Amino acid sequence: MSSEIDEYNGGSVLAMLGKNCVAIASDKRFGMKLMTLGTEFPKIFQATDKIYIAMAGLATDIQTLSELIRYKINMYKLREEREIEPTTLAYMVASTLYERRFSPYYVSPLIAGLDKNNKPYICNMDLIGCVTTTNDFVVGGAADDCLLGTCEALYEPDLEPEDLFETISQSLISAVDRNAASGWGAVVHVLTPERVITRTLKTRQD
Amino acid sequence: MSFYPYTDNGGSALAIAGEDYCLLASDTRQSGEDYKIHAGYVPKAFKLTDSCVYAGVGFSADGVALVKRVRQSIEWYRHAHEKTMSTPALAQMIATVLYSKRFFPYYVGTILGGLDENGRGVVYSFDPVGSFEAELHKAVGSGAELIQPFLDNQVNLKFLPEVERTPLPLDVALQIAKDAFTSAAERDTKTGDYLEIFIIDREGVNVERFDLKRD
Repeated sequence: MSSEIDEYNGGSVLAMLGKNCVAIASDKRFGMKLMTLGTEFPKIFQATDKIYIAMAGLATDIQTLSELIRYKINMYKLREEREIEPTTLAYMVASTLYERRFSPYYVSPLIAGLDKNNKPYICNMDLIGCVTTTNDFVVGGAADDCLLGTCEALYEPDLEPEDLFETISQSLISAVDRNAASGWGAVVHVLTPERVITRTLKTRQD
Repeated sequence: MSFYPYTDNGGSALAIAGEDYCLLASDTRQSGEDYKIHAGYVPKAFKLTDSCVYAGVGFSADGVALVKRVRQSIEWYRHAHEKTMSTPALAQMIATVLYSKRFFPYYVGTILGGLDENGRGVVYSFDPVGSFEAELHKAVGSGAELIQPFLDNQVNLKFLPEVERTPLPLDVALQIAKDAFTSAAERDTKTGDYLEIFIIDREGVNVERFDLKRD
């Protein structure tokens, strides 16, 4: 991505796969270059009861695209009379992004969710909708390299929800504290078949 | 095509200071432009004294030239003062050497790992023009962004405020260094092949070699 615009507002996102659960997390910073303007900027959006979508990148595009995706999810639900599946949502977001192939939304979206059989799913995609599905973790945003480093070292497969929460939280906090464009607190959601655990984290405030 | 005097040869190095030891680790890959790998075993860490090890990442030729110059200065210091240069003195000297080429710099990220006059572990890190700082742990090079937050997490236990702080044992530091490099080699194309770990303690300097990913 062109480093001018995709790191203009800062912010980072992360998702991890566990045993019968998934976790998705983001920081809360909203800035313009080096100046911090907001510390409660939402980057994670609920798609259904069991699917969350996170976006890092240009703040205006995050808000525009999240509303467009919300509209499309609602239309899908009305037409199909059922909830959308994680993979379906992933390719719906991907094709929405590819429609703007030559004037893209400057976002790095992640999707985390449980499908109808409660099988966990995570994926990320680039700004024009090239989907990558992994079986460990996906990262995005200004601190993506830092996140890749912490996740690669701290992650292990088949974690239970509480252990997954600790792993994703430590990975995120360590990474965003080394990135000036990210931080100012964090949000973590752990999705299990029974419930969604949502917690906010404190990080350094500078 | 005009002549450009610098190349980025990639590679990473890290150092961790312990109570009575210091550990300095670096990979041995030498990368070229694009996705080329020039060689798998070209060390970028060198022993300077019995209590100090240097690593330089970035432009390999400058790294080697810098060590050559620093080693000669150490030799002259020994003849002039009849003693080996201490690690803090060495750090200040390297900073002066780097700044002497302020307008045609040695294109290297430098770290020094060693023991100070009291036998405590110290780490110094430098930018290419000589600004430097003493730290307890530091990662430099192409994989620095991946390694540094991991060290913050594991060495400092920075994000586990309720855990009691105890001095980091050498075997734990060694395992952290190995884990840091296997992770960095997984995601950074310019880091890999072999890992060289220098352990500096009162006995002197010891080197250990380990395999890393070679693709």
